[in-house]
Amino acid sequence: MIDALSWIGRLGIYCFRLFWAVLRYGVPPRRVVEEAYRIGVQSLPVLLVINGFIGSILVIQGYISFAPLGGQQLVGMFVGLAGVREAAPLMAATMIAAKAGTEMASQIAVMNTREQVDALEVMAVNPLAWLVGPRLLGILLVMPAMTTIAIVTTVVAGWLVAQFQLGLDGYQYFLLVQRTLSPLDLMVAQVKALSFGAVICLVSTFCGFVAPRGPEGVGQATNTAVVVCAVISVSINFLISQVAYGG
Amino acid sequence: MVQTLTSLGSFGIFCMRLLVRTFSPPWNFPELFRQTWRVSLRCVGPVMATTFPFGLVLALQGLQIFDLYGAQRMLPSLVTTAIVRELSPLLACVLVAAQGGSSFAAELGAMRIKEELDATEVMAVDSLRWHVLPRVLALILACPVLQVIGAVLGLTGAWVMAVAIQGEPSGTFFANLWTFTTPTDVAGSAIKSVVFGALIGTISCFRGYYAHGGAAGVGQAVNDTVVQSVLAIFVFNYLITSALTAR
Repeated sequence: MIDALSWIGRLGIYCFRLFWAVLRYGVPPRRVVEEAYRIGVQSLPVLLVINGFIGSILVIQGYISFAPLGGQQLVGMFVGLAGVREAAPLMAATMIAAKAGTEMASQIAVMNTREQVDALEVMAVNPLAWLVGPRLLGILLVMPAMTTIAIVTTVVAGWLVAQFQLGLDGYQYFLLVQRTLSPLDLMVAQVKALSFGAVICLVSTFCGFVAPRGPEGVGQATNTAVVVCAVISVSINFLISQVAYGG
Repeated sequence: MVQTLTSLGSFGIFCMRLLVRTFSPPWNFPELFRQTWRVSLRCVGPVMATTFPFGLVLALQGLQIFDLYGAQRMLPSLVTTAIVRELSPLLACVLVAAQGGSSFAAELGAMRIKEELDATEVMAVDSLRWHVLPRVLALILACPVLQVIGAVLGLTGAWVMAVAIQGEPSGTFFANLWTFTTPTDVAGSAIKSVVFGALIGTISCFRGYYAHGGAAGVGQAVNDTVVQSVLAIFVFNYLITSALTAR
């Protein structure tokens, strides 16, 4: 219990130090673009596959659930509410945490193990501004785009299953998705995406820095990073949904 | 391409070697119980911390659909089917992959890098039988249990949102809780969690067992474990759902 609290406290201090370092030393723009490219392009295939399956599962389950009510066409609405509002942003964030987040944690833990972080400090380069700043700005840059791609993939995969596996009317499906959603929903999804991105980067790099040095430390950092990111993302998702739709 | 096929092939051989050892004595029961206990204990916190907010969100969005038709009493039935059929196996097993699978990959990877596995082989101890097999079986045993815990927490979340926050009558909630859920659903989710457990166990131990390249290799193994097991879980989830709902 005390361990967990002190972990959270140190994470908070780490965030403040990062903020200060980024303001004071600046972030090289070329590194931001590099990191954004790496995070975005690496996570994209996984993201497409997962969100494709999310869309198809939602349609199958929606079809089974609404068939007794005689409202098989309501699957479009179901995909709009469950998929676009909740599942697509959340699963996109989980996959980016699993792919890019674990990589950040293990990279920084490996640098720490090999004393490369100390070497940076000796050369009077602030490791937070040089290593973490570009990753933070990079992930914030790509998260909205990734979430948009995730949403489109979910809806299109749902349409494919509805039209070709279940034989529903594809036009009505799109019509209901469109009628269920408003521009506000997409904006809420972007707010979610940005908060998930910040959480993933801060937590993963923090886990990398505090891990004990050596191979076990690297494994442990990666492991903690992905679990903590997933748990915090789900909780933040609930909070944002409650504020936006709970009213 | 060739590399992917090669690694798929060696994964198949790895699984066959494990399968042979599963059904031939001597069995290492104490280690199996120890690993099962450890992995269940490690994963139960994250599983509970994610399924509960997801239950809340599910009820929040579900109420929006049913408010339109004045059919709020349908909410618990559909929430139960969604949680039992899809959410609890998927979410619980994704979290088990993130927490349990990645920690097994990290442990085995660190053992490989520090040449502990080679040392056991030199002592004529079968490292697959004594280190890998108990871990794989532990995940297969732990996943169904964690899935049930996740389902209970998800339903609790739905109850908290519907009854405690939105003020639906509690009696109606409990009266309609199980109306749509069939024994096939419950059996299906048990099958799913066992299959997912087997996937997580074999993938994580395969990645950890064949880790190479120093501390960075451990990080890479953990990263691959999480991404590939989550992908495998979603692919198999789609297949099992389609098979169970085929008519």
